[in-house]
Amino acid sequence: MSEAPKKIPRPQPRVNAYMDTKPFWDAAKNGKLVIQYCKDTGKPQWFPHPVSMATGRRNLEWREVSGKGQVYSWTVTNSPWPGHEDRVPFLCALVELEEGVRMLVNLFNCKQEDVKIGMPVKLCWEKLSEEINYPAFEPA
Amino acid sequence: MAKRKDIAVIGYGETKVTLRGGRTSYELAAEVLDQILAQTGIDKNRIDGLAIAETMSETSNPFWPVYMCEVLGLSPAWTQVNGLGGASGSGAIARAAAAIRDGMCETVFVVASDAQSTGSHYPEQGAWRHEFLYPVGLRGPVGSFGLLTQRYRHQFGLKDEALAKLAVTQRKHALMNPNACDKLRVPITEEDYLKSKYVSYPLRMLDSVMVCDGANGVLVTSTENAKKLGAKKMIHPIGYGEITNYKGADQLADITESGFMVAGPKALKQAEMTPKDIRMIMPYDDFLIAILLTLEHIGFCGRGEGSDFILNTDLSYKGKLPLNTSGGQISAGQPGLAGGGLNLVEGVRQMFGEAGERQVSDPRNCMVTGIGGIPYGRNWAVSNVLILEQS
Repeated sequence: MSEAPKKIPRPQPRVNAYMDTKPFWDAAKNGKLVIQYCKDTGKPQWFPHPVSMATGRRNLEWREVSGKGQVYSWTVTNSPWPGHEDRVPFLCALVELEEGVRMLVNLFNCKQEDVKIGMPVKLCWEKLSEEINYPAFEPA
Repeated sequence: MAKRKDIAVIGYGETKVTLRGGRTSYELAAEVLDQILAQTGIDKNRIDGLAIAETMSETSNPFWPVYMCEVLGLSPAWTQVNGLGGASGSGAIARAAAAIRDGMCETVFVVASDAQSTGSHYPEQGAWRHEFLYPVGLRGPVGSFGLLTQRYRHQFGLKDEALAKLAVTQRKHALMNPNACDKLRVPITEEDYLKSKYVSYPLRMLDSVMVCDGANGVLVTSTENAKKLGAKKMIHPIGYGEITNYKGADQLADITESGFMVAGPKALKQAEMTPKDIRMIMPYDDFLIAILLTLEHIGFCGRGEGSDFILNTDLSYKGKLPLNTSGGQISAGQPGLAGGGLNLVEGVRQMFGEAGERQVSDPRNCMVTGIGGIPYGRNWAVSNVLILEQS
């Protein structure tokens, strides 16, 4: 908001920046979306946490999910995070997966005038580098 | 907090809000201290407590509060730092009250100071942001409030003219506030608001704060000590509620709900009040819709009734419920992470009867709210509510 940021390249995810997220990125590289589940309660959670959001314990596992969901909310980004200047305008959305978590993602293959809250969407992948597939969504 | 009025706020100070003013957070804080000492006539050696807010300009220094003591020549017996963003100011008053009651100190300088628009290197918030926010490109608060506004519109309907009214009401107040940032001290119309460009649709530029520099603070002591010190004026904190990471573990929490639904009733109960008893309100305003949600969640109106409440209530300094009478952060400028103190200090100023041409009549009490932090895919991380009352 304050001043024009210096032009930098689009930020790449820093794997394992705050906890061990390698299982997520390994699966993503193979085109699979995995999220954490609490083994004590069976509850899913996103983004990755080092403890269960239900119990506070570390009894967690990664499971593949369907990649099906719907738009919970959306916005058109005109004032982007630094490194995304060349992409504006672009769609960001909170997508609610049918498994019961919400992901903050880009929406692709969709025009602003066609986005609706509740619209069914499905997983697609954005290849950010040889190593990194990033989850995104498109109309189902 | 309780309604026994054993704690008093006996002074306040505030710098002018400037855009890239060039002065450091230390110098800005010094101006606030100087103002408070001049206003109260109290010897600076009576200050034995410091509660200071984290900043965007100095927080990379892990000894920020300690250096501030050294720079200002203070030797407190109790030093405390608050990383609650815009909730740090009111949060510091509640913490100072607890420390004073526990005998750890007698007189606390509560200060927030930030030269965010002058500084160039912001502290990195880190955590999940490198992996799950920055690659998506959603821009911090602006993006999150775009998502929040869209969802609110979907669930309840939102009248743009209500936000336009808020924008104009606050701007008129800023025009009467010499401490407001000069760049913002120009009149705007509701039409200007409606035509303002989208920064994160449906969020507009004129929904948003402009990051500036500035500092503000208050002096807190026990009422007993205030009398001994010969304090000329005093008001009292009588109700306080705070919550961080409201419903944070709930994966499908409704993002149009906030911690004010807990913090508001708690503060009101302690103060033995209902929203109808509140004379004026200084709500935290990083974005206009935050004000609307605050009014709903604290119970000034029902869920989804915020637009109509705003349209049907005179929120000007002369009105039924005066709101952000110094312009709020949106029209006075947001002095970085000292932003929460801007509306707090205005509440104190009004209750001291020193608000000049924008003075509220019968300023018997005031509610101040704070918001801090932007979590993943939600609204905000910290909500707090403080109620102040005259003696």
